[in-house]
Amino acid sequence: METATHMLRTGQRGALFQFQMALRDLRNSFQRIGLAWSLAWHDVASRYRGSVLGPFWITLSMGLMVLGIGFLYASLFDLPLNEFLPYVALGIVFFGVMTGTINEGCETFVLASGMLSQTSLPMLTFLWRTVFRNLINLAHHLVIVVAMLTFYGYWQTANLPLALVGVLLMLLNASWLALLAAIASARYRDIPQIVVSVMQFAIFMTPVFWMPSRFGKHQVFLDLNPFYHLLQAVRAPLLGQSVQAHSYVVLVAMALLGWLVTFMIFARTRRRLVHYL
Amino acid sequence: MTAASITCTDLTIRFPVYGADAKSLKKALARAVSVGGALGRHAGVTDVTALEGVNLKLQAGDRLGLIGHNGSGKTTLLRALSGAYEPDDGSIEVNGRIASLLDLGLGIDPSATGYENIRLRCRIAGLSSKQIDARMDEIAEFTGLGPFLSMPVKTYSAGMKGRMAFAAATAVDCDVLLMDEWIAVGDADFQKIAHKRLLKLVERAGILVLATHEAPLLKLYCNKVMKLEGGVASEIVDIRKLDQLLKT
Repeated sequence: METATHMLRTGQRGALFQFQMALRDLRNSFQRIGLAWSLAWHDVASRYRGSVLGPFWITLSMGLMVLGIGFLYASLFDLPLNEFLPYVALGIVFFGVMTGTINEGCETFVLASGMLSQTSLPMLTFLWRTVFRNLINLAHHLVIVVAMLTFYGYWQTANLPLALVGVLLMLLNASWLALLAAIASARYRDIPQIVVSVMQFAIFMTPVFWMPSRFGKHQVFLDLNPFYHLLQAVRAPLLGQSVQAHSYVVLVAMALLGWLVTFMIFARTRRRLVHYL
Repeated sequence: MTAASITCTDLTIRFPVYGADAKSLKKALARAVSVGGALGRHAGVTDVTALEGVNLKLQAGDRLGLIGHNGSGKTTLLRALSGAYEPDDGSIEVNGRIASLLDLGLGIDPSATGYENIRLRCRIAGLSSKQIDARMDEIAEFTGLGPFLSMPVKTYSAGMKGRMAFAAATAVDCDVLLMDEWIAVGDADFQKIAHKRLLKLVERAGILVLATHEAPLLKLYCNKVMKLEGGVASEIVDIRKLDQLLKT
């Protein structure tokens, strides 16, 4: 159902027309951004319905994992706890948001098939639903982040504005990856499995649990890992470290190029997406 | 007075049917490698023409009944009018707010309470939170479920679920109402008040498009009728010619 009072759909083709229609979808999804919020809130609320702690299970389970891994690895690698625990906590939290957005991106359109096949809701509304849902999760994890930074005294040196820029860059990049995953998963049902495997591989290849300084002369492989830049842009400012300038170049370029290509794919497949489902 | 209108010109909708096979990436890759080219990539994807060259012109006051056998394209036409399916050829133009009551179960979350489901359904239908707050009492009263609305929907009987979904779905203001079968839910008492509510909605809406198999319903609610056969539409005729149309 559309709140607008005029609807025109034509069989017109052509790249330009498809692009305009995709842009309209984007515009409409922003106009009804409140709907995406409502759906995302509903998702989070219904996932934890009936449990005593409710959404704070998100916080608790994450906290346990952070402490477990933090203490174990700190003693395994013989690292000082006050350096390593906050490092690992921030790594897991922010990498988790990225992974969550991309993995859940796969189901974005598939789960919305009922609504997409009988209403004219903008398709991108459902992408924002996935992104917002993960933002709500992140908000619950922030408790851990703040606790770590306060407890180990990183609060004074933390560069919050720069960290916010990092979060923004991370969201921009994760959302186009999620859209790409959503389109591909609607068409090919193997994609979610592939995405999960890739993200699982990535969490070990990226310095989440280990320090990049341990990488020695293989540093170049770090620079080739986009997830490394994504994570550094958020984590380093919070720990009072500086982010390398070329990380920002990589992230901005990746966001622009990624959105451009993904949006083109969206424009080309948008008309067909509802039939894939 | 609403100036609702629907215009379809040479509306053609084709479904690509992706077989279970075609959804596998492996198969697609194998095809792309071994065959290549446009022909290869289209192998395994069959086009079904669901609607072909449908012309339709409706204005405020028109109540169109759609008849036709199963698979004749009635639901496809309704979905196209709701804006979900885009035409492959031709065009659809709709003036006015559209409400599609194609599936009462749309967006129902069984683990959420009745209130939450009503809220969610109305949000999907395009109502703002404020509008929903303003209408909630009326909707709740209409369901007649009272305190049960604070319970999860999964504890409802089928009839109660129907009442809740019906009340939420019909709480909208619309100029164009699309319906797949006349909705009848709940027990005899509820069906009576539901009938009244639906009639009121139809009266307020400028245009009704109703797909149904039942001739008595058509005669009751519609003033025009169109027959679909294998995706091809007949001309729109007056409801008095329904029997003639049914015979052909």
